[in-house]
Amino acid sequence: MKMEDMPLSGPDNTKLESLVHDIYSELVEDACLGLCFEVHRAVKQGYFFLDETDQESMKEFEIVDQPGVDIFGQVYNQWKNKECECPNCKRLIAASRFAPHLEKCLGMGRNSSRIANRRLASNNNMSKSESDQEDNDDLNDNDWSYGAEKKAKKRKSDKNQNSPRRSKSMKHKNGELGTIVTSEPYKYNFNTGISYETLGPDEVRSLLTTQCGVISEHTKKMCTRPTLPDADPVVENDGFDIPDGQTLMSRLQWEDSSDISPTDSASSKASTNPSDSRRPKKKKRPSLGLNSGGGGGGGGGSSSLTGGSSSSQSNISLSTKKKRPKLSAPSIPSIYDDLN
Amino acid sequence: MKAAVNQKLTEMGERDRLKELLRAKLTECGWKDQMKAHCKEVIKQKGLEHVTVEDLVVEITPKGRALVPDSVKKELLHRIRAFLAQHTK
Repeated sequence: MKMEDMPLSGPDNTKLESLVHDIYSELVEDACLGLCFEVHRAVKQGYFFLDETDQESMKEFEIVDQPGVDIFGQVYNQWKNKECECPNCKRLIAASRFAPHLEKCLGMGRNSSRIANRRLASNNNMSKSESDQEDNDDLNDNDWSYGAEKKAKKRKSDKNQNSPRRSKSMKHKNGELGTIVTSEPYKYNFNTGISYETLGPDEVRSLLTTQCGVISEHTKKMCTRPTLPDADPVVENDGFDIPDGQTLMSRLQWEDSSDISPTDSASSKASTNPSDSRRPKKKKRPSLGLNSGGGGGGGGGSSSLTGGSSSSQSNISLSTKKKRPKLSAPSIPSIYDDLN
Repeated sequence: MKAAVNQKLTEMGERDRLKELLRAKLTECGWKDQMKAHCKEVIKQKGLEHVTVEDLVVEITPKGRALVPDSVKKELLHRIRAFLAQHTK
């Protein structure tokens, strides 16, 4: 309190001070009186002692203040060390891990189906390359639910093929090529094990002049990346996530078609972001100075080339984490020359 | 002069504002609960049926005055002084 604020001084000051204190006392007394009236009324109306009961009940609900126990006296991690028997595999599992274990054990959780599909896909690929039918049967016997879910997944990704989002982003990027890519892959790319021998020369030519056409070694699917005018060096992409085959394909198509030129990398990266958020596990595309379709299109159905060339586009479509050998660009245009 | 000041205080609504401020602060700092506990003791002493307002007032007021925390007291005095400084000339 600054003294210069006081308009009065000297004896008046003390008068003022006493006045101030008087006013203060009045206010405090008012407050006390108010409280008294409140309490008196509560007593007379009978609700003053409502929060107090007999001594026994009071003792029962007293606040507990011991270590290891909450204020009600309950132990909080009482069930942490107990073990439960899983009805499926008959093992003893810790209580806190029981629910996740059940999820995996019964094959009904979100993650368990994804893992199973992946396993199934990789097993299928390996068994197919070995042409060993027995493994497939064993797989099918064990995990009937996984197969059903995989079919469901396939249908779901089929459904999203021609969604407005896909075609809109592609049209925005490519103009006419976008539309072409949407229609054609639907015909070809959901058959596993496509082979160029079955198609006629005209079909093959038309197919390979518009699209990349490289068949992935693992998923046996054809790459639908549109062809680029010049051949840029292939950019290796390490450390892929293991994706689902079908969903990958769908993503691959509309994403690839957005890579018309390396300069588009910034915008195509932006366009791939929505899908990135949808499928968080997919790897983001690096700077897209990727090999052009002309260079990267390994075509011709030669599996050795497909392994390398598909790496350039199908960073996402790879189902394994193995490194791919770098593609030798010069050899590929020669195949196109033959066709043309 | 005191009457004039009081009148002004009331007229301008400052008195009511100060009252509310004081009540709020006292509740906040736990003074009210303290006083209520004291009341319980007094009532238990005197007997539930025979308590009168006067009894309570006599018991409570001196204790209440004493138990007001210093910070609350200082704040209130400051406000009163400020008001007076503003409005007396």
